[in-house]
Amino acid sequence: MTGHDHFLEQVTALLPALRAFGRSLCGDPARADDLVQDTVLKAWTNREQFQSGSNLKAWLFTILRNCYYSELRHRKFEIEDPDGVCAGQVAIAPDHDAKLHLRDLSRALQQLPVDQREALILVCATGLSYEEAADVCQVAVGTIKSRIARARDRLVELLGDDAALVTGHPVVGALADVDGASEPRSGGL
Amino acid sequence: MVMSEKIKPGEQPETAAASTEQVPDWLQSRLRRMFSDVMDEPVPDEFKALLKQLEDKERGS
Repeated sequence: MTGHDHFLEQVTALLPALRAFGRSLCGDPARADDLVQDTVLKAWTNREQFQSGSNLKAWLFTILRNCYYSELRHRKFEIEDPDGVCAGQVAIAPDHDAKLHLRDLSRALQQLPVDQREALILVCATGLSYEEAADVCQVAVGTIKSRIARARDRLVELLGDDAALVTGHPVVGALADVDGASEPRSGGL
Repeated sequence: MVMSEKIKPGEQPETAAASTEQVPDWLQSRLRRMFSDVMDEPVPDEFKALLKQLEDKERGS
């Protein structure tokens, strides 16, 4: 049926975005591509459930996210977990004093709890709205916002020095402008 | 102009949308660049093969 061909065409057009989303979620190109393959297969199998006219990208992201989460459950031994309990076992310990270079953004992302990471990526990188991101993660918009706030604070903590170097102005000021982030910071210089 | 580099359907500029005041610009632009770097990569052949397979299945059934 032409409708189905159209579906596959649209999926094909979204492959680059799916690969990017998968990679920023899991931090590993090969594993991300496996996730995308699973996603495409699941999407095709369940294509009747997709309501044409709704947001295919958000739908595919939801499937990819579900694939990722079910993989996480099966690979607990080597992954980070939402509570960050296991995170210390991978590459970098979540040392609050450890500053990463700005180019290490993807490594820094991997230090975030997965729920914060996905919220930040969905809204800041994929171009989904807060509402769409909330749908993908099956939580309220307010939850997405607070996850993004926590992700931002942690990344600023990890990358802030480099950011100040790059932009030429201190990040702390920029942060205060945004929403008066009131997290107590340890006593200045 | 490169004629073969046609814009595929559904390939809108991903980065133009949703900007949030929650996150400082430097961080958003880093996130977007990380994302678009991957998007700019050619899609591996294994995906073309998979899609072709599904397309054939669709026609066959």
